[in-house]
Amino acid sequence: MSASDEEIHELVRQEAGDCLRRMESNLLALESGDGGAEEIDAILRDAHSVKGSAAMIGWQQATTLASGIEDRMEQAREQGALAADQVDPLLRAVDELGRALQVEPAAEAPKPAASPAPTIRVPAAKVDRMLDVVGETVLYHRRLEHALGDTLRDGRQASEELDMGEQLLDELQDSVIQMRTLPLRTITDSLPRAVRDLASQEGKEVELTIDGAETQLDRVILDGISETIVHVLRNAVAHGIEEAGERESAGKPQAGRVELRAGRRGRLVAIEVVDDGRGVSPELLARAEQEGSLVDILAETGFSTAEEVTDVAGRGVGLDAVKRHVESLGGGLELKSETGRGTEVTLLLPITLALMKVLLFERGGHPFGLPMTSVGRVVAVADTTSLGNRPSLELEGQVVPLSDLGQLIGAAAAPLPRNPPAIVIESPGRRLAVACDELLGEEEVVIKSLGAILSGMPGFLGAAILGDGRIALVLDPNHLLKAPTEAMAIGQSEETDGRMVARVLVVDDQFSARELQRSILETAGHRVEVARDGREALARIGEIADLDLVLTDVQMPEMDGFELLEAIRASEEHGSLPVVIVTTLGDDASRRRGVEAGADAYIVKEEFDQQALLETIERLAGR
Amino acid sequence: MSRVHVRVRVAGEHYALPVDGVLEVAELGDLTPVPGSPPEVMGVRNLRGRVIPVMALATLLGLTAEEPERIVVAELGTGSAGFAVDAVVDVGELPGASEQVDSPYLTGAVLVDGLLVGILDVDAILSSVASPGA
Repeated sequence: MSASDEEIHELVRQEAGDCLRRMESNLLALESGDGGAEEIDAILRDAHSVKGSAAMIGWQQATTLASGIEDRMEQAREQGALAADQVDPLLRAVDELGRALQVEPAAEAPKPAASPAPTIRVPAAKVDRMLDVVGETVLYHRRLEHALGDTLRDGRQASEELDMGEQLLDELQDSVIQMRTLPLRTITDSLPRAVRDLASQEGKEVELTIDGAETQLDRVILDGISETIVHVLRNAVAHGIEEAGERESAGKPQAGRVELRAGRRGRLVAIEVVDDGRGVSPELLARAEQEGSLVDILAETGFSTAEEVTDVAGRGVGLDAVKRHVESLGGGLELKSETGRGTEVTLLLPITLALMKVLLFERGGHPFGLPMTSVGRVVAVADTTSLGNRPSLELEGQVVPLSDLGQLIGAAAAPLPRNPPAIVIESPGRRLAVACDELLGEEEVVIKSLGAILSGMPGFLGAAILGDGRIALVLDPNHLLKAPTEAMAIGQSEETDGRMVARVLVVDDQFSARELQRSILETAGHRVEVARDGREALARIGEIADLDLVLTDVQMPEMDGFELLEAIRASEEHGSLPVVIVTTLGDDASRRRGVEAGADAYIVKEEFDQQALLETIERLAGR
Repeated sequence: MSRVHVRVRVAGEHYALPVDGVLEVAELGDLTPVPGSPPEVMGVRNLRGRVIPVMALATLLGLTAEEPERIVVAELGTGSAGFAVDAVVDVGELPGASEQVDSPYLTGAVLVDGLLVGILDVDAILSSVASPGA
């Protein structure tokens, strides 16, 4: 197990907790005489589930305990009833299993060859103060360098010392910024439960999976973003995911699926919330195509993809708030949707609020900055005489509106020079070229508030103090883009590196087992799809054209792993698809059945080894 | 509250700021105008690495500004701000007895050496700027 799998441990515990509670109430039902064969089967299933998860992550004691309960329930099933004197010992066993699940990781999952690093607790305000001072020191250094200017040429040693100082300061600043970043998990841990509760309020079944909870973000950003994420999740549950009946007739699994995925996207962190619900209407999509941006349309108040707005979330109002919040942090909001297939909302956030790469330029004798994340490119405006009433540029065959920065923000400035440089500001769906007098270059700056009176002013992200002591106002690109502009779609490209990337379908009825395998595979760079039983898996196999391999559990409802394997082998189209069986069934008969049915590999959960799994996949998928 | 005040001259008139709220007096310095800001905001200034807004005290008081040369930096709950003044006259105690004045920006006025000195209510001034329309 890698150390980063604490997330999985927590998942296993949560899931097992549900199983244990159900086992308990079913045992009590049996004891009171209200229960029968159904309850016995349910307990058996739950015990089996807990055993599977525990075995997979190597929690020996819990595995043994769950297995013991399973054995006793097997007997009860054969006898057709649970003897009354068996209830008490079984309840005690369930309690013991609960305790084992709580303590086990500490006892059995020490990080290999590394004692835990000592930690200290520091009030956040102290770190904030430190970051401020470090930022000031960096600026001080720049001023010093600027002030020394010419004299540096004569003193080589002084110049070297200054360079050294700059390096040290960079490192210091980095390390302090890291002190202030926390993993996203600090705000996502409570979300699966919150989503479950929201869904049950709506009479729906929705499962939330979280991926990338280790992604680091500035504490200041995390503080504010939690509520915003809940807002987006609420939208997905209330408006995205359909009622069970509607899902069934659409051929979707009864339980809705919401995924929260976080990860770096260049200099930003992207937090994606993806649901497999109804998506937005074709009419809205058509309107978005005409008007440029689905986000903007949905962020207008009064829009909802559901027929009615429920008390859980009024989509329109909510999305507007979400958009404003991420934009105020210097980020952005993206939204993709496919009618009938689902919606994907992406919050783009800067990693830290303390430092920002900006493009500096001058207009009317004053410096301004724009976040590099918003700058697409810089062009020279060929003919300034074209700056008439409706000026525009042609870029890659598309028309981009052109504005004079001075006019755009109302800054007093002399007319632009001939052939002025223009900065193309980009956001999904929109582009705008802004002309200025002169480009000053790219610089990493400390963003400061404009102060008590001006900090709430729209249009500015803040101010940056430059090396020469001047103040550059840092403009809010989203505010500049507010001016009505031509619609424009910006294509996205997928990056690939040289490594082998397999597309793998993971089939397991257990959430934790699926997610464990998913996290291992995705960490190794593979692309993962999931299905929760054989039938769903067959449907997915038909849909995914470039599937390389199937990893399947054996014991699942609807259609089990062996039946799935047989169905794949019997299929003309997918008959040769590599299939790996991952199961708790380690006995020879089961292995034989797997091999006879045509499994390419057989992995027993108790012997689960991450590296072996990855090697198996590379070997089979690479054929 | 201390009776010590910073006396300033603005457009030929005399005003005083309670010294408790005053951080320092500085040169007007280079101001960076902030487009779209209220008219009384002259711009922002770099004060030893801090960005502070600078307001024309004359404009705030409805006077015709002369040539401000200095700023009085005042501390407020949410940060600090500079008030541009023509000159700083002195720092000293003002007589306690205060005349009532009918101005939202003054807490009172006192006679000093035959000159009427208005005592500025810094909080009231700043909150009027912070909430536009006042």
